[in-house]
Amino acid sequence: MTLTAVPDDEIFSAYPAPADRYDEMVGSDGSVREHWAYLTRALAQLGPIELENRRRETARLLRDDGVTYNTYDDGISRASDWVLDPIPLLLSSEEWATIEHGVLQRAELLNLVLTDLYGPRELIRKGVLPLEIVYGHRGFLRQCDQISIPGSIQLFSYACELARDTTGQFWALGDFAQAPSGAGYALENRRVMSRVFPSLYRDSQVHRLAPFFRTMRAALHEVAPTGVDDPRVVVLTPGPLNETYFEHAYLSSYLGHTLVEGADLVVRDGRVYLRALAGLEPVHVIVRRVDGWYCDPLELKPDSQLGVPGLVEAARRGTVTVVNTFGASVLENAALLPFLQKVAQHLLGQGLEIPSATTWWCGNEQERSHVLAHLTDLVIKPIARKTGTHSIYGWQLSDAEQTELVARIEAKPHAFVAQERLEFSSVPCLRGAGRGGLELQARPVVLRSFAVARNDSYTAMPGGLARVAATSHGHILSAQGGGISKDIWVVASEPEKQTGFWLLQGPGIEAVDPAGAMSARAAENLFWLGRYAERAESTIRLLRCILDRRTDFHGSSNTAGTECLNGLLGALTKMTATYPGFIGVGAEPRLADPEPELFAIIGDTSRGGSLASSLRSLLASAQAVRDQLSADTWLVVSEIERELGALDRNAPDPQAAMQTVLAGLIRSLLALAGLAHESMVRDPGWQFMDAGRRLERALLLTDLLRTTVVSVRGDAAESLMLESILIASESIITYRRRYRSQAQVETVLDLLLIDEENPRSLMAQLERLNTEIAAFPRRTKNQRTAEERLALEAYTMLRIADTASLAAPSMSDATRRLALDDLLASMSTLLSHTADAIDATNFTHLEPRRMFVAGQTDDLGRTLSGVMP
Amino acid sequence: MKYEIVHRTEYRYDADVSANYSEVHLIPRTLDGQVCRAHALVIDPVPEDHRERTDFFGNPVAYFSIQKPHRQLSVTATSTVEVTGRGATLDLLSSEPWDAVRSRLQAGAGAPDPEAITARQFILDSPLVARDELADAYARPSFPPGRPLVDAVMDLSSRIHRDFEYKPGATDIATKLPDVLEAREGVCQDFAHLAIGCVRAVGLPARYVSGYLETEPPPGEEKILGADASHAWFSVFVPGVGWLDLDPTNDQVPNDQYVTAAWGRDYADVTPMKGVVFSSSKHPELHVAVDVLRLPA
Repeated sequence: MTLTAVPDDEIFSAYPAPADRYDEMVGSDGSVREHWAYLTRALAQLGPIELENRRRETARLLRDDGVTYNTYDDGISRASDWVLDPIPLLLSSEEWATIEHGVLQRAELLNLVLTDLYGPRELIRKGVLPLEIVYGHRGFLRQCDQISIPGSIQLFSYACELARDTTGQFWALGDFAQAPSGAGYALENRRVMSRVFPSLYRDSQVHRLAPFFRTMRAALHEVAPTGVDDPRVVVLTPGPLNETYFEHAYLSSYLGHTLVEGADLVVRDGRVYLRALAGLEPVHVIVRRVDGWYCDPLELKPDSQLGVPGLVEAARRGTVTVVNTFGASVLENAALLPFLQKVAQHLLGQGLEIPSATTWWCGNEQERSHVLAHLTDLVIKPIARKTGTHSIYGWQLSDAEQTELVARIEAKPHAFVAQERLEFSSVPCLRGAGRGGLELQARPVVLRSFAVARNDSYTAMPGGLARVAATSHGHILSAQGGGISKDIWVVASEPEKQTGFWLLQGPGIEAVDPAGAMSARAAENLFWLGRYAERAESTIRLLRCILDRRTDFHGSSNTAGTECLNGLLGALTKMTATYPGFIGVGAEPRLADPEPELFAIIGDTSRGGSLASSLRSLLASAQAVRDQLSADTWLVVSEIERELGALDRNAPDPQAAMQTVLAGLIRSLLALAGLAHESMVRDPGWQFMDAGRRLERALLLTDLLRTTVVSVRGDAAESLMLESILIASESIITYRRRYRSQAQVETVLDLLLIDEENPRSLMAQLERLNTEIAAFPRRTKNQRTAEERLALEAYTMLRIADTASLAAPSMSDATRRLALDDLLASMSTLLSHTADAIDATNFTHLEPRRMFVAGQTDDLGRTLSGVMP
Repeated sequence: MKYEIVHRTEYRYDADVSANYSEVHLIPRTLDGQVCRAHALVIDPVPEDHRERTDFFGNPVAYFSIQKPHRQLSVTATSTVEVTGRGATLDLLSSEPWDAVRSRLQAGAGAPDPEAITARQFILDSPLVARDELADAYARPSFPPGRPLVDAVMDLSSRIHRDFEYKPGATDIATKLPDVLEAREGVCQDFAHLAIGCVRAVGLPARYVSGYLETEPPPGEEKILGADASHAWFSVFVPGVGWLDLDPTNDQVPNDQYVTAAWGRDYADVTPMKGVVFSSSKHPELHVAVDVLRLPA
């Protein structure tokens, strides 16, 4: 191999390539490996300042895309930022060829093993594999015996973890077959890298990833049950709290599949259906990202809320293809590693191209003695991977821990393996050094490679996901433990033709009916997304108006000002439903010193109705329909998160602190509204979101007017109040331009209630609401739905309203405008009923699911029990 | 002996059930010395979907689902079963010591014998019977070195019968071995699980058998309909002979009055009836009636 000199710059020349490891970039003689030459020169030319800029840009892009990896702590899921080191791991064509052959061979081999284990089980019968490593593994699902998918390949997708030893030789550390994760993160890493280093990426002749995903998409269509020409493919996710939810949403929207949760699916007559907006729609292929054991509460885990009852039966009948198959995680089995070489000889008639890391299975007596004798040199693992359990490094154990571990192994020897300690190869990682500088650090790395099956053979992703340790001598951690990732660039020896994902051949792409592709749950979340966004926006407008009025009248003796301010505070309590707040008995002290309550209404997430809780709900709704929203949405969402966190109760000037946060939030919310308006297709999802927004705005405006204008006030107070309402309703400029006078109740009602030209008026909301509702997908033709009738009634009622009589004080009670009150009260009721009707007609209403078990009947007490949630 | 077995399960819910998905192990299997001549499963309301198949352990199992609202569900399984020569193999049983059997079964010992390999799955932990020190300690006195396997397990079965009180209601489906060992009481299912835990603790395969037992009325009285019960016992692998059934609840080797329905690692593999329902009903009423009627030969 030709080697070139290390670039003569302050960063690369100072790279501390370790003497005791194989370094990916630098050879043992200290010179740069040939396939790294271009990259190192280019990066050195950028210089440290520009490199630091690119590093920041990398982090910013990931944050703006909302790329997260959820971690669990005490059972609570938290979103952590995905970390990408901007220096890619480069592989030469030769190195890639070795990996590719090795990974494909392993996929083929494991496919044969899987096919056998859920079929004839010859490997066990003939004694090639000990029964215990299969039957004693929790991924071996007896209920899924003999279930197969169309075609000769049973292991649809596969990933393999690889590392190099000190000589540069590759070893397989473990296999992923349950629902291999990481391919989506690799794709996102690549997207970010190509934007941070556009010219470097272009000129480095890097193998593209798009063809791999195109193959995956085609393969998913082809694996559908026989006779289905235009299959519906869904991605089954455990939901937004799952650790790799970002990837589920990202891949399903990239590949054009519907993202569903268990409750979105139903089994009828042995077939699987999506609870879609337009009714039940057949599902033919399920990309399973829910662990197999959780997929069906009837046959598998009884208390699982993530699965679909009857799903195993449907798969058994072959009416639906589930990939990977439910029981595939039996291959994620460290105890298979010591046997794979023998199995490869037995099934393929050849040895492994990439050997498995040397592993001893404790179920074998001799191997167990070896392990127990060398415990402190080995890495000890349970045979089945499980969240929360991790490898044990023998050399880190105290005497007491060793004794305890030995006891655990001896009690259940077949459940443990030990692996030889490998000194992984190192890669350069960028790291901030003192005084704002940058340095390269050499850190251990492992590679994850991906393969997918199509037409009886496998294709590997030319690239993959590299994970590095957090320090130069640390262990590689999963993202769960705070790991760092890298993009893997396979550097082509000759330029490759560039293709986008949708170009070239693939399955014929036909337009799908959007109402059939959208789950009712997604529509529900979009509806609520619209409502929460509007609720937050309206709350902020009123809050800002209140804070301004407070600045005007705080401490002054202006009684009209105080009356107006108190009226607005009352309206705030009503609109946010944060009772008792500024209304009723006990409100006095809070009206006198409103600041603590205002802080709570803005920032207290635990208070239902607060701005913070509306925003939280908004973010949760957005997460739940991640696959439906444009990528730019996450830019805004991450901004909202940041602003919400910035509220400081102890700021020297609390008023100003609140104003700053509110100003930032309203900017973000306007951006969100703009995105919805400019970037979303007008499909049923959009119609539900817009209906939610209109309905919420109409409801809140009704509330606002009812709490502020029904009471007849003195001229000064009334005028101040009307002006404030116009400000809070974003209509003050129009009003001034149109009427050039002090605000009058009648004209204000004209503008805010019935003027259809004013986009903030109640009439404008009702018109839009009626339009959206009329466009909802419907299950019964030629018949008005309940929500259509209710919205129409509200609209008609407003149409015939007469503002002059509404504005007049009541004959019976001159202090109140009772006609206005009646109208607004009826309006409020009609709108609430409309919301209920939209919910009842369109969204899924599942009754609670329960599991009942009847026991042996020699004990009636027992037969009555067994109710599981 | 020829029997007609009627096993009727009835649920009454206090709210509508909109959908029901169920799986039942109510059809007796056919095995050496037992033939299931006929069976019928009558479900009311009539399910939209109903299929029968064989499970991982070779037991007949039925799946059905009901998609229309209902407040009552009844499942009646009627089978005609002939039992002959059960327990007759006892004379032929080997006198091989239990510890020799254990060594013979161990992984990698000698040429693979498919039957012995398959039996090894019943040494491993199962959903309801996990390795337990108390069970291990309880088992030991029955398993001194060199004692013939058959003697050892028969002794174990008798000891359980002697040491534990049969007491309906004392335990439930979730009861685990340590609780049974602590309370020294339980029902057939607990005793079967305990025996299985003990046999596995010494490294030997044991499985759970669910089935029926013909009961006889007290002398001079008529047999009461619906008074029979489903029953459970355990079975131990004896190399070269097969599986030996033992009933610790009645301290006997099952004879022609026993009908096997299904076997598995423990109760969880062969639950007679389980279902997932969509309903706000929390406490359905459940009635189960079993009749084991002797038919003229």
